Amino acid sequence: MNRDVRYGSQTLGRLLNWVTSFPVNIWKSIIRHGYPDNDRDRSEMMFQNVFLHIMPVRVSLNSLKASFTMGLGVLAGLLFIILTITGVLLMFYYVPDVRRAYLDMKDLEFVVSYGMLLRNMHRWGAHLMVAVVFLHLCRVFLTGSYKPPREFNWLIGVLLFIVTLLLSFTGYLLPWDQLAFWAITVGTNIGRSAPILGDMISYLLLGGNIVGQNSLLRFYVLHIMVLPLAAIVLMAIHFWRIRKDGGLSRPEEDTFPLKPQPAQVFVKNPHKTYGLMMFMAGTSPGVDKGPDNTVFSVPHLLMRLLLLSMVLTLVITVFSLFINAPLEELANPALTPNPSKAPWYFLGLQEMVSWGRPIWGGVIAPGLIVLGLLLIPYLDRSKKGIGVWFSPQRKLACTLFVIFAVAMIVAIVIGTFMRGPNWGFYWPWQPWPY
Amino acid sequence: MRIGRKRIELLLEGKEEEVTRRTFFGTLGWSGLLLSMGVAGAAGFRFMFPNVLFEPSSIIKLGKPDSFPNGVTFLSEPRLFVFKNKGSFHVISAVCTHLGCTVKKLINGFNCPCHGSKFDVKGNVLSGPAPRPLEWFEVRLAPNGELVVYKAKQVEQGFSLEA
Repeated sequence: MNRDVRYGSQTLGRLLNWVTSFPVNIWKSIIRHGYPDNDRDRSEMMFQNVFLHIMPVRVSLNSLKASFTMGLGVLAGLLFIILTITGVLLMFYYVPDVRRAYLDMKDLEFVVSYGMLLRNMHRWGAHLMVAVVFLHLCRVFLTGSYKPPREFNWLIGVLLFIVTLLLSFTGYLLPWDQLAFWAITVGTNIGRSAPILGDMISYLLLGGNIVGQNSLLRFYVLHIMVLPLAAIVLMAIHFWRIRKDGGLSRPEEDTFPLKPQPAQVFVKNPHKTYGLMMFMAGTSPGVDKGPDNTVFSVPHLLMRLLLLSMVLTLVITVFSLFINAPLEELANPALTPNPSKAPWYFLGLQEMVSWGRPIWGGVIAPGLIVLGLLLIPYLDRSKKGIGVWFSPQRKLACTLFVIFAVAMIVAIVIGTFMRGPNWGFYWPWQPWPY
Repeated sequence: MRIGRKRIELLLEGKEEEVTRRTFFGTLGWSGLLLSMGVAGAAGFRFMFPNVLFEPSSIIKLGKPDSFPNGVTFLSEPRLFVFKNKGSFHVISAVCTHLGCTVKKLINGFNCPCHGSKFDVKGNVLSGPAPRPLEWFEVRLAPNGELVVYKAKQVEQGFSLEA
């Protein structure tokens, strides 16, 4: 309060102080840390900011390597944000009414300013998200990142993969075009083929016996509310568990480099405990070891995040400017398009369904795949080869998984390029009969 | 207070102390909470099944028999094929028994565009994933002389109506 003395009048000085500190006190009530040009504020940024605190204060150098994560998990999260923003905007012009839905789509494409761009971004973003989430799943498997202590997070990840597929499925029904109508028809009939409960499942999904208004409304509510909420809750658990399980997986020797300089090793005093009492068992992680192989998240992780989000937004926007999302003809129950194909990510399922009774390809096979994925960390309990791509200690596991992934991709390629009228097999260069 | 076999035996023999007030109200409270959650869940589940449906009737009036030409007529709205052979009528469903796509009429059979099932002219499966032949529906003459199809009533193959 030196200033008060200098001005002579305490009252005037206080008033001036009150006025000059006016905007600062608002800012400081919101942002409690200083500019992060020092380690203390770099830490405070993570402690004080609800959005940033999903990041650790310091992050392993191994986790920042693009060749290790390929940024796939972050990309999936960013895509969810892009899809939420574009989806909410589309909701302002779309009414889930069988008489209006298709016309609203046409309006979005040709009447609403930037409607076409937003719809394209939403559709292409969704396609990309399915691909990215699947690749993320592959990355986590092939680097052995589901092994202890990360078993439960793998389980949550598989559930997120399923929610992503369900979001796509419920989403592409909404335009009420031919693709939508026949996808609903085939999808709910797959549900109907389930034993005992089949008819009930189909009635529950459709809200009746036929594909109609009730069905459209149900899939709409699932798409814009129920499934996104489920995804948000699962993502919260997923991210939180990454932190609780000690960050991303990495080789043990990478956390504390094998041969630290003798001067760097913190030598334990036998009379002290070095524990975080009541918070953690044992001594603090750095005791008796060299400095860990980490850097501050600000700027190293934060800047990578921002860069990835900019590149992703740019790619989706530019792609959507030039390539329009498909919209087929108005739904027509009397005429099934020939061939009638699901979007690419369901062509593997469609391929399986076309082999025999729908219960095999539509219920039992996908059910076993999901069950198998969920059980992976509880069956493969060895702690070898964590945090390394194609670890030589996991040859069998990696080989089996690659065969599975390649089989899925082959089924998708066959479905996309080699299936013609009546789901017949045609080489890509073979002409179709009609 | 654990409820094990030993304790139950003691209780039955009257050697164990009666349930304390704390245990009684604790059990009552937890049961009430779980029970009310179960009931709310069941009610929510039942809520999802509509009681009244605004769907087209399963009984379809086709009009006078004379209005049909000899051969096959496809009716798009009810998804039916009406076969007329001189004076005899039969009706076959156009809904594939595999996953519900609308089949296409060929010269001597039907083809499903979704998963490639093939049927003969009577609806029998020739190839593909369809588990059952196409359904045949009962067709009758109404008192006013119009043909009526009952989509809820399946009939044997070979059923026909002379009209």
